[in-house]
Amino acid sequence: MNRRPLPYFARSVAAALIGLAFFIPLLWVLTGSLRPGNETFARLSPLSWGSFITVDPTLENYSRLFTGDIGRATLNSLLVSVVTVVAGLAICASAAFGLSAFRFRGRTAVFAVVVLSFLIPFDAIAIPLSDMFRDWNLTNTFTGLVLPGIGNGMAIFLLRQFFLAIPTELVEAGRLDGLGWFGVFTRIYLPLSRPALIGAGLTLFLFQWHSYVWPLLMGTDREHILGPVALANLQGQNFVDYGVVFAGAVLLTLIPLAVILGFQRYFIQPVSSSGLK
Amino acid sequence: MSTAPHPVASARRRRNRTGTTTGQGGQAGPARQPGRSGPAGKAGQAGQGRIAVLFLLPALISLALLRLIPAGVALVESFFNESLLQGGRTFVGIGNYTDLIGNPDFRQSVAVTLVFTLIVNPVQIAVSFLLAVLYTQRAAGSKVWRALVVLPIAVPPAVSAVIWSVIYRPDGLANSFLDLLTIPAQPFLTSSSQALPSIIVLLSWIGVGYWMLFLIAGINDIPDDIHEAASLDGVSPWRRLWSITLPLVRRPLAFVLVADTVANLLVFAPVQILTKGGPNGTTNLMMYDVYNRAYAIGDLHTAQAEVILLVAVTLIIVALQFRLLKGDDR
Repeated sequence: MNRRPLPYFARSVAAALIGLAFFIPLLWVLTGSLRPGNETFARLSPLSWGSFITVDPTLENYSRLFTGDIGRATLNSLLVSVVTVVAGLAICASAAFGLSAFRFRGRTAVFAVVVLSFLIPFDAIAIPLSDMFRDWNLTNTFTGLVLPGIGNGMAIFLLRQFFLAIPTELVEAGRLDGLGWFGVFTRIYLPLSRPALIGAGLTLFLFQWHSYVWPLLMGTDREHILGPVALANLQGQNFVDYGVVFAGAVLLTLIPLAVILGFQRYFIQPVSSSGLK
Repeated sequence: MSTAPHPVASARRRRNRTGTTTGQGGQAGPARQPGRSGPAGKAGQAGQGRIAVLFLLPALISLALLRLIPAGVALVESFFNESLLQGGRTFVGIGNYTDLIGNPDFRQSVAVTLVFTLIVNPVQIAVSFLLAVLYTQRAAGSKVWRALVVLPIAVPPAVSAVIWSVIYRPDGLANSFLDLLTIPAQPFLTSSSQALPSIIVLLSWIGVGYWMLFLIAGINDIPDDIHEAASLDGVSPWRRLWSITLPLVRRPLAFVLVADTVANLLVFAPVQILTKGGPNGTTNLMMYDVYNRAYAIGDLHTAQAEVILLVAVTLIIVALQFRLLKGDDR
């Protein structure tokens, strides 16, 4: 009835073909990770179903992953991302509380600093910052890897938007009942703000998990290397086992994917509304 | 043409939706609006300021230390130079900037970045918009296909570069597909003319699904009755796409345009992993040029000057966004 640019059938075919086109690289990587490395290219010419599907999958690449550098690097990535989320949420949420629950002189100026800090793209200032970190002996330390992630202007901004909507009456009631300001923050603001906290936590997590410039500048020794850097190093070597490379790529993708899927309701909402207002 | 009422309506719908999904906090929005005076009113202003500072301090320190000061340091350092002859730093004014402008590698990098920006952003946004339109219409398995388009956004940029380095190998997946179509094998990353387009393809693979999500949210905010009314009036589907959908998603579209442009200005991982700026500097995007200048060439002060230029361009683009969106509110 309701006429659309394309009829139902054509639309469905287009939707399916485009979806599959986006999926094929990942499918090829997944299949390649489940077969021995010397078969990665052997199955490509000519292209057939066998290029994308394996009937006798093996987990050998994954077991080699965990005994090699990539497994260690992935654990490092997890550690850095999780610590960033926890510390970053504590710092950003209390800053957002300071900006929304109180009225004080200079509040606008403080807010301007927050906004300016997230308008300066981090990757662009990573080089001068890494120079400073070298002077402070933070190269090849987890502290050095985590620090840039914790003060996230975007997360503060998102949380502040949400906190501003919390009614004054609740705070007044809490104060009358003898809550201190820290109590107001932890007993009233935080429990009411679960969605915003999850959204901000996702922002912090993906900032770290997807970062490349910073870990490349900051943590390159074996104990501190992060997943993406280790995978890129592995790929750059002369003799590469692509089965293992693909297994690493799958692992480094599945972890953020699981996080995004688990919290997908909160994924786009906060970012989009912040951009629009 | 006047579409003034619609953004308001869509904004209201959006707010309502936030209200229902975010529980008490969101619903309470309107109650808070008039004069955001703090709970304790005027009485405790000075004391409140002190407490607020305590809550703000950790974040302010980290923002200053990790964002603002390095930017300031880069700005200051860009006016100095390390001189072996005179020993130590010397003030050179805008010397580093004029050096940069006189440097053919830098000039080529700016040109490459400009061409890249002018191609990658329109392409990604047009594709994201068309896919957003496609995946908001009823179609068999639409949700599943949409999810497959979104899936690559989970892939970290460096990991996607690694994946595509294998796809672009002479014996890789890309050439097998060309073979299927009886097209001769292509060099991709080792060709001056194909390397940049190859990088654009891999960036779009992880980018398009992400930007599409914002546009889908925008399209879903358009009230159904507008389309129905236009449909009853006999407006053709393509015409509706152009004169109803497009104008009504211009706010998310403006956001996506700016955020995408900024993100693409900072592209680094694929260049560093796939081409190292080559062949012949044809993929030497500015972010990689900065890195290369600082570490391979070892000219830190000139690299700082380039950082400042990059930050300045970013801030200009973001400022333009604010202008764009502000003009829109009236």
